[in-house]
Amino acid sequence: MSLEISFIGILIGSIMASSVPLILAASGELITERSGVLNLGVEGMMIIGAISGFALMVITDNLFIAIVGSMLSGVIISLIFGFLTQSLLTNHVATGLALTIFGIGLSAMLGKNFVGIPGKEFPILFSSLRESIPFFGPILFGHSIILYFAFTLPFLTNYFLKKTKLGLVVRAVGDSPVSASNQGINVILVRYCCILYGGAMCGLAGAYLSLIYTPQWIENMTAGRGWIALALVVFATWSPIKVLIGALIFGGITILQLHMQAIGFRIPVQFLSALPYLMTIIVLVVISRDSRKIKLNTPTSLGRIFYKEK
Amino acid sequence: MATDLRISNISKIYPGCIANDNVSLQFKSGKIYALLGENGAGKSTLVKILSGVISPDNGEVLLNEKNLKLSSPLDAKKNKIGMVFQHFNLFETLSVFENLSIDATEDNKSLRLRINEILKKYNFSIDLDVPVLNLSAGQKQKVEIIRCLLRSPKVLIMDEPTSVLTEQETEELFISLKKFCDEGILIIYITHKLKEVLSLCDEVAVMRKGKVVSVSQTQNERVETLANKMVGQKLAKIKKKINISKNKDEIFKVKHLNFYSDDPFETNLVNLNFSVKKGECLGIAGISGNGQNELFQILSGEIITPDTSIIFRNKEIAKLNPKQRREYLMAFSPEDRISQAAVPELKIYENVALNNFKSSNFFEKGLVNEKKIKEHSKKILSDFSVNTDNVELKSQFLSGGNLQKLILGRELITAPELLICYNPTWGLDVGAINYIHETLIKINDQEKSTILISTDTEELLKLSDRIAVIYKGKLSKIMPSEEVTPEKLGVLMGGGSID
Repeated sequence: MSLEISFIGILIGSIMASSVPLILAASGELITERSGVLNLGVEGMMIIGAISGFALMVITDNLFIAIVGSMLSGVIISLIFGFLTQSLLTNHVATGLALTIFGIGLSAMLGKNFVGIPGKEFPILFSSLRESIPFFGPILFGHSIILYFAFTLPFLTNYFLKKTKLGLVVRAVGDSPVSASNQGINVILVRYCCILYGGAMCGLAGAYLSLIYTPQWIENMTAGRGWIALALVVFATWSPIKVLIGALIFGGITILQLHMQAIGFRIPVQFLSALPYLMTIIVLVVISRDSRKIKLNTPTSLGRIFYKEK
Repeated sequence: MATDLRISNISKIYPGCIANDNVSLQFKSGKIYALLGENGAGKSTLVKILSGVISPDNGEVLLNEKNLKLSSPLDAKKNKIGMVFQHFNLFETLSVFENLSIDATEDNKSLRLRINEILKKYNFSIDLDVPVLNLSAGQKQKVEIIRCLLRSPKVLIMDEPTSVLTEQETEELFISLKKFCDEGILIIYITHKLKEVLSLCDEVAVMRKGKVVSVSQTQNERVETLANKMVGQKLAKIKKKINISKNKDEIFKVKHLNFYSDDPFETNLVNLNFSVKKGECLGIAGISGNGQNELFQILSGEIITPDTSIIFRNKEIAKLNPKQRREYLMAFSPEDRISQAAVPELKIYENVALNNFKSSNFFEKGLVNEKKIKEHSKKILSDFSVNTDNVELKSQFLSGGNLQKLILGRELITAPELLICYNPTWGLDVGAINYIHETLIKINDQEKSTILISTDTEELLKLSDRIAVIYKGKLSKIMPSEEVTPEKLGVLMGGGSID
């Protein structure tokens, strides 16, 4: 009995850990999209974050530098996107796709010398509490600081968008850049900031994978998580809390179906592998049924190029 | 303190067009100034310069002898120039209060206090916590005005403010504007509506083709003199002889038209019933957003509603799509010329080909017969005096008036029995409006029928034989137009009742 309960606790803990990169990347992308910019380069920015984090860890042997560096690399690569779409007015979709392709290629090249090097252990917090409290211990304690940050991030994002002046400005820019500009808001600057913030969060999401979740570098190790994060934002109808729910469902069913496969359920493996995608979409569609709320949350100008009259 | 705003030698040149040519004007507080001109006369450019949205190539703006550098809207704000644009600069998905707080420097609590003071002082009633998309056009405009007032402006510029208002809302606006003027705010009122100039303004400057052609006291002007200055030539007066004869056949009959939508941007329609006789024009009045869009789309077949019966020339057509309805000789001219009626990126002749499927021989064995279409397009261009004979021109380069003529021409060349048009003269200048009105009257003279859905009461009274008003998706009773006055329409459009 007590063995089963503690197993469920450990299971929930691992589900939480697996959803961290999705929460981070999706929260970042959510802010970018709320300002009206559609950046499809999430996957590319994540993988760049993963390799630069891992490489910096190997080179400097300092995890702090590795984490900060991965975020900076996300910022730098998203700056390319920002410059192209905001200053040179290129198409958001095409530029974002290019960014992903570029990121995957570049990371593979940079990562050549880092394949096979073992990672370093990342410090975990409250590890003694994890062992001593049954069930809740493995859920609440013994995680990296990044996980705690990731789980507060959707609430911070929600607060930022709904309660702060800057959040209001971001929403206004996403609603109508022309009106915002006529109100004296520097639309391009706001959008640049949102793009760079998105880049930083995606970089951090990548670093979580290569430094904490599976501490090593493998080519293409993000494995489509960037695309899932993008889809989460849309299916969560740009609501940070729903992003969190979606990420947990996705992470949860991914882990569960792995266990089901291991136990040997007589369900085709292909169906089990597809289950996380299916369930996440179904649940998010069901909880986002209110068309009125969708209208109010959707950034009206999403993906549209804005240029200032001269 | 008195305000003195001077514009001196402003020029702004766009490729292929001189928008402002050496414009100089002077305004003093305590008066309401009108800036009058047709579309494309350069009013909007001048206003955008004053509000810092664009910067002039030449010339300067002086406020109380001080040279203003208006290189961004922020500069205009700092210099206490307030601006209410024709197309509202509001954030539809944000609440009224959020819209107002976005550029405020004070905390929310004192801002709310100040807003409530303004609401009380000018008798505005607006719920601050609903999203702007739930407001009527008149209320949205009030939000814009409040936004300006919060900054205690010296100059308030209103760009075509009445184009979306009812008669009552217009009157209310005029009362407020006069109040602002008494409080020492300098008001510049941009319009192409002559009557408004005469009833509201003290002084009027007329612009034509980028130049100021006259500045005068309004008391010395009449509608005709101003119109002639504005257009630069004498305008022919058009008047329709109303033809109501009881014994004509009903060509078009709608029964039990209902429409329900979850979308907060759409209006539900409740049990609409009406009919149109041969050679008659049925006018449907209303403020935009009261269900006209939905009604037009249902009549044209873009939306199919269950249980609705539409009889056209003795056939039930309620389940037919727009293409099939055209084959029964209906024709449509939607409100949005650029995105609904025509494809702006396509050439003129390609746009002409778009809706002529069966009745023409434009297409043979799946191939486009370009020669035929071009000949046909040339005929439309000359028959409907479109200002070009180049059928290869992309439609986006036509002005609104010329595009509307092209669209009407395209629709009418198939000799339809019924034309349904929605705001056919929206945003056009006097010359083009005159032409379109003449064309619509001609249709009725040829015993063909029209349904005119319009937000312009003057147009409706001029062209319709019978008029009904749509308000919140419900249709008023249908009245012969000689019994209708602008005041009556205004009451009905605002949701009131007459008799």
